[in-house]
Amino acid sequence: MNAEPNDASANFAHAVAALVGRPVGSGKASVAPDPVNQPMIRHWAAAFEDTNPVYTDPEFAAGTRFGGIVAPPLMLQTWTMATPMITGIAERGGAPVPSEGTSPMTVFDEAGFVGTLASNSEFEIMRYLRIGETISATTIIESVSEQKKTRIGPGHFVTWVTTYVDDSGETVGIQRFRILKFKPEGVPS
Amino acid sequence: MKAPINIDFSQVKVGDELPQLFIDVTATVVVAGAIATRDFMPVHHDRNYANKQGAPEIFMNILSDTAYCSRFLTDWAGPEAMVRKLSIRLGVPAFAGSALTYTGTVTAVSQRGTEGIIEISLRATNDLGDHVSGVAVIGLPASGASA
Repeated sequence: MNAEPNDASANFAHAVAALVGRPVGSGKASVAPDPVNQPMIRHWAAAFEDTNPVYTDPEFAAGTRFGGIVAPPLMLQTWTMATPMITGIAERGGAPVPSEGTSPMTVFDEAGFVGTLASNSEFEIMRYLRIGETISATTIIESVSEQKKTRIGPGHFVTWVTTYVDDSGETVGIQRFRILKFKPEGVPS
Repeated sequence: MKAPINIDFSQVKVGDELPQLFIDVTATVVVAGAIATRDFMPVHHDRNYANKQGAPEIFMNILSDTAYCSRFLTDWAGPEAMVRKLSIRLGVPAFAGSALTYTGTVTAVSQRGTEGIIEISLRATNDLGDHVSGVAVIGLPASGASA
């Protein structure tokens, strides 16, 4: 056996193991730039033509078990999305803001797993949000799979978990997001 | 606005099918969804950029996928319903110019105190295959409809 690839693969295995538990991004909580608010909810409801009146009709919502307007539950992720810097967004590969430091995902890119494919999104909603609440999110890499053979090439599934909390630090929702970092094998895209 | 109707939890059975939801995925639908979810990735609004990435068209973002899943569930269950879990697997893209059909089936029904719990298996398909497939759990007051 050739020692060099073994060293490289041992280094890669170490680097991958070290990712688990690491934050994605700066490590600081992402604080929503704006509290939960009716204009953004109305915009969302209109975009998806979701006519559920608990999102936009205060009188109706007051008569439901929610007792007032609530935010659409799957809007959870929207509140903490970064305010984008539009200039240069294409040059940054779609990153909404210039990145601070290196992404933990560069470990994969450097080992040839340059492809990225979103695979799963899983939400647990503890409670619905009300207007005026400010949401923060913290994201940690939860797990990295062994190398798997997939139809688009060998790769690793990386799962990160985002915990969304309210002003008092209470968890209001949890999201697991899984991507495949893969070595493209020339499949037609 | 006409008051929407909540389904009657006591009448929900395993095997019940949700009313289908059909989405004509126009470029406007893709862009409106991306911006309403504050997702400014150019692949969701700029066709030239999408082409350079190897995609024939702009395509729907994941936050729109979960939004439509939630609408699909509560269009059926009514405004007293709470989406408690949504777990989706992402499949083929939903390009502008395609159409999505959401289907769902009740797979389990249980009760926790006064809360009725309904598990649903759902999928959204287009002419390329399964765009989204997954499971959802919703809660509904078990005491019955209170529209």
